[in-house]
Amino acid sequence: MDGVKVGVFLSDCGNQLSKILDFDDLTNYVKNISGVALVSRRSEFWRGEGLQTIKDDIEGGKINRVVVAESLPKLSEVNIVQAVEEAGLNPYLVETIDLKDHCAWPHRETPKEATEKAKAMLLAAIERAKLLEPIEKLEFPTLKSTLVIGGGIAGMQAAIDLADLGFEVNLIEKAPFLGGLASRAGRFFPTDDCAICIQSPASDVKTITHTSRKCVYRSGFSEIPNLTILTNSKVVGVEGVPGNYKVTIENKPRYVDEMKCIACDLCTTVCPVEVPDEHNAKLKNRKAIYMRVPNVYPPVYVIDESVCKFYDCAKCVEICPTRAINLDQKSKQMTLKVGSIIVATGFQEWDSRVIKEYHYGDNPDVITNLELARMIDGFGPTGGAIVRPSDRKPAKKIVMIQCVGSRDRRWNPYCSSICCMISLKHASLIKSAHPDTDITLCYIDIRTTGREHEDYYERAREMGIKFVKGRPSEISRNPETNTLIVDVEDELLKRLLELEADLVVLAPAMVPAEGTKELAELLSLELDKDGFFKEYNAKLRPTETKLRGIYLCGGATYPKDVPTASLHAHSAAVKAAKFLTTGKIVKDQRTAVINGDYCGDCEFCPVTCPYDAISLEETTEGHFIAKISDLLCEGCGICVGTCPLSAIELRHSRPSQIQAQIKGLMSVNGTSKPLVLAICCSECGHTAVDSSGMAMMKYPANVRVMKVPCTGILQVHQLLDAFKAGAQGVMVVGCKSDGCHYEVGVQKAEKKVELVRILLKEYGIEPERLEMFNMVYIEGNKFAEAAQMMTERIEKFGQLQLVGVS
Amino acid sequence: MTSYALFLGCLIPAHQPNYELSVRKSLAKLGIELVDLANMTCCAPPPVQSIDLETSLAVAAYNICLAEEADYDLITLCSGCFESLSMANSMLKADEQLKAKINKILSKAGKEFLGNKDVKHYLQVLIDDVGLKRLEQSVSKPLTDLKVAAFYGCHALRPSELLKLDDPERPRILETLIETIGAKSVEYLNKLKCCGGLLKGYSDDLALSLAREKIANIARAGADCVATLCPFCFVALDVGQVLLRGKFHEIYDMPVLHYSELLAFALGIGSKELAITPATHKIKVDKVISKTS
Amino acid sequence: MMYDEEEKTASLEFSEVVTRRLGGETIRRCYQCGTCASSCPVAKITERFNPREIIKLSLLGKKDEVLSGDAIWLCCSCYNCQERCPQKVEIADVIYALRNIAFEESHRPNIYSDFASALLNDGRIVKISKFYEDKRPALGLPPLQPTGVDMLRKILSATGFDRLQQKEKS
Repeated sequence: MDGVKVGVFLSDCGNQLSKILDFDDLTNYVKNISGVALVSRRSEFWRGEGLQTIKDDIEGGKINRVVVAESLPKLSEVNIVQAVEEAGLNPYLVETIDLKDHCAWPHRETPKEATEKAKAMLLAAIERAKLLEPIEKLEFPTLKSTLVIGGGIAGMQAAIDLADLGFEVNLIEKAPFLGGLASRAGRFFPTDDCAICIQSPASDVKTITHTSRKCVYRSGFSEIPNLTILTNSKVVGVEGVPGNYKVTIENKPRYVDEMKCIACDLCTTVCPVEVPDEHNAKLKNRKAIYMRVPNVYPPVYVIDESVCKFYDCAKCVEICPTRAINLDQKSKQMTLKVGSIIVATGFQEWDSRVIKEYHYGDNPDVITNLELARMIDGFGPTGGAIVRPSDRKPAKKIVMIQCVGSRDRRWNPYCSSICCMISLKHASLIKSAHPDTDITLCYIDIRTTGREHEDYYERAREMGIKFVKGRPSEISRNPETNTLIVDVEDELLKRLLELEADLVVLAPAMVPAEGTKELAELLSLELDKDGFFKEYNAKLRPTETKLRGIYLCGGATYPKDVPTASLHAHSAAVKAAKFLTTGKIVKDQRTAVINGDYCGDCEFCPVTCPYDAISLEETTEGHFIAKISDLLCEGCGICVGTCPLSAIELRHSRPSQIQAQIKGLMSVNGTSKPLVLAICCSECGHTAVDSSGMAMMKYPANVRVMKVPCTGILQVHQLLDAFKAGAQGVMVVGCKSDGCHYEVGVQKAEKKVELVRILLKEYGIEPERLEMFNMVYIEGNKFAEAAQMMTERIEKFGQLQLVGVS
Repeated sequence: MTSYALFLGCLIPAHQPNYELSVRKSLAKLGIELVDLANMTCCAPPPVQSIDLETSLAVAAYNICLAEEADYDLITLCSGCFESLSMANSMLKADEQLKAKINKILSKAGKEFLGNKDVKHYLQVLIDDVGLKRLEQSVSKPLTDLKVAAFYGCHALRPSELLKLDDPERPRILETLIETIGAKSVEYLNKLKCCGGLLKGYSDDLALSLAREKIANIARAGADCVATLCPFCFVALDVGQVLLRGKFHEIYDMPVLHYSELLAFALGIGSKELAITPATHKIKVDKVISKTS
Repeated sequence: MMYDEEEKTASLEFSEVVTRRLGGETIRRCYQCGTCASSCPVAKITERFNPREIIKLSLLGKKDEVLSGDAIWLCCSCYNCQERCPQKVEIADVIYALRNIAFEESHRPNIYSDFASALLNDGRIVKISKFYEDKRPALGLPPLQPTGVDMLRKILSATGFDRLQQKEKS
């Protein structure tokens, strides 16, 4: 610590603080602390002349550490640190404390005590500052390219955005054609326009003006130069780090050459194999070689290899006028190097066969919304006619049932959010085209919360669509008429009804798309309790995941309508663009570092790290030690708290720095009450203390506050050391148990507090001297009450006598 | 030799010796030993559950304790007993707190529920322990011309999460067993609907309405007889037809038999050995007997 | 922790009383979808019984209407409702719980009082007549094992069942 020169800057906030705190006393006290080179006092230091003086002192060589007592340090620190850097000093050699919200305001009724506390706070800050080390900023290069997984509406929108912004984009889709669910849905509510309509790209494709909306097949988006579209392809492997992912793609053969196929349809006329067409709800058949209608992209036929007879037939090969068919095509694997990944894999209809009383699957006249959509679609298997699949007679009496498998504790407890509108859409479209159709919709609740959705519901009622509030218990078949009978209670009428129907349409739950679980494993992404991809925080960081560089959009996170999916897609694109635009990730090295000599290869830390930032490396001596990635480490310190051998330290929050703070805070009492140490996390805990001060709440001055990145950093012995340092009571203040900003930190802290309490009891010390508190920023009152409560409790316990500690 | 402790319940020894005989004799022929344990009581079915659920659980658990002490799994003939005992068994096995609570009560009678035995309906024993193949081989008089309407009743199947006998919406066990003894299983409307038996005594009218619908549907389907699994259902449909004649002047003449009685016929045990009399079967079963001999 | 509220010792909400009763724990899950009413064989033939309505009245706190009424005794315990409920409300068990509360508060239909007496006296709800018992050897049935009435009475005393015997207050 030789040559450390600490500059201490005290702001009195326009002389307001000096009405409570004795600034002369403070200045004298600070001057006498070893290592302090100068003490300065002004109204404010975070801007203007005050800030300039700090810079001057640095540039003049007078100081090489900065301690500032300033107002609202979480905001003002940004300015200060920037100025320090401009002056040529490493910006991490700065420590700011808050004498206003953490001292003067809460203790304004006991000014002498407040001043004594201020002394302790300053001592703690100075001792910590003396131990601070310069910390570098690291740069990690990123590739300016993206992989978008999923070629539905959301995936296509995100891909177009990024391609327009100049990034290399690879859009992959596991089906042979783009479009996803939209290609089956026909029309989208509330405007009943085409499902495959998307915004055109702004790039210069000849036929498009920048305001026109075009559907996928005529938007020219496939001609965007830096957009590569791979259909019939899926992700089979992912390696690498944010900014540099290596993705292995498996490309299934189409057996038809994209460059030669002219979509003339001759091949299907000779193909002998006919199978039920899944895309058209099996209401009609298709051949082994086929193309989807209406086409989205690519306009190339494809052979279904599971049913094709290949060389036992090969009639299509002969008849193709451009010789486009190649039965020798093989599966290919390719590797893509991308900087970021967007997951847009969407959702699907749940399989309602398990609700046996509805007979979906064994009675052909019980169908789902998606299957009905195929019938309504003029391009569909029935040419727009609504018919009973069993005998193809027109369906004149239709009963629709909502919440099939949704809002159901046995299957999918959530509300699938779009099915009310989908069913209303179908009912309205059918009623418009065939007004003599009798349609009854059975519901538990009608949810039409989006823009213009209530109007849609109103129009549906005005069209004469009937509504029954009640969930049907059973669908049975009348064997004489071959019609269906739906048993339901109309609870508004309080009457049990038996509705006769030609066709029953179920609105099944919307569940994650097939392959979601496997993809989540490949990408190390978390799924929520319903199996959808988990957004990191839907309010503050939508579309983001816990991993930098991987984003989510569209129905992959939760069923949503197209306007919402659109917003989501554009949002994900912006996030990905922000991530990639500078071509590098800049991170400071306030990360964890392993002491290889102490690491015992117990392997707790890699498992505990919420960011998978720790891996195990084999040393030259043949054993493993932990290694931390500076790129992935988020600086929470949970690994520090986990390591049983204290082999890990977090830069800028090293145990020595924390210890120095604790000692400083406990050095001066000045009140008649016992000293209580409150260790607060930087996210919720410390900000709750801020808000208690800002709201002018009061608590006694014997409570001393210090900040750590996350309470998860705390080790058992540190909590015990706090008592040795003079604390009579210790509060650990963190986020809510299920709301830790670093996933698991606060839960780890809770466990440690429990354990230390057991130890305290063994030592004959009251375990309630240590307590865990959970709160959020706006709960300043909770902090003030807790501080008061702990003080009173410790007072009752009396003085703690530790043997062998001076 | 597979052995089970037999739980008779109340109704069967009270006035359905035919049921008891048909089960004892059929299972004996199929190599299942039935052991009678002392000190059993009422199983605490819905009428007792309606008064106090905790008592019912304790009483049911008590009876299971007797089987645990004697080291036998329990077999029941009455669906009401099956539901009561099976539910208690499942609930206490799954919930430690509840088990502790009930054991506190049982300790007053010097018993402790351990949860190490199973409660089975005799149908399950036929499927699991005898097996369909051996059952088929044991049939000496297949009931070839007989059209049987399977009637499960409610408490053999539901609540399915706790009872786990068969799929509550599409059960097959009884139909399969009917077909294994050579008869034909006949489908009818609302097969799984309740017979209304438990409403008797509180609302005889409603009970009778439900029984009437059941009998009418079975008759319409052209069955020769109904096969029941429960003494309550049996009485509802058998005595019920007498009441229907009196009240609505409707005569269905639909014989009601327990499945085990049909099973006994198929195994060559004559009706005379089974106490089948006009006292035990109010609707004459002569037609069925003549078709089966 | 210091922020826990004190338990209200004043009278509890009726639906809370039901949730604390064995069998009634799930009543508050109900969102009134009506699947139970539609599955119920009794509701189909009489307006006097509707399981959805009984739950609704209980949730709204209409304790007297529910407990002194006729409806709760009309359930035939077929469990169809409980089987099909999408919120896994244990409807048939809730009705048992309501009956239990009603019984405790002296709403006791005669037939159930009779069952209670029979259980206490004979250890069985249906008495086994001497006629049939004596006939057993002739029919080829083994003699009836003794009923464990004494042990049963100890259990019934431990649960307080023995105090539930009196006939219904009119």
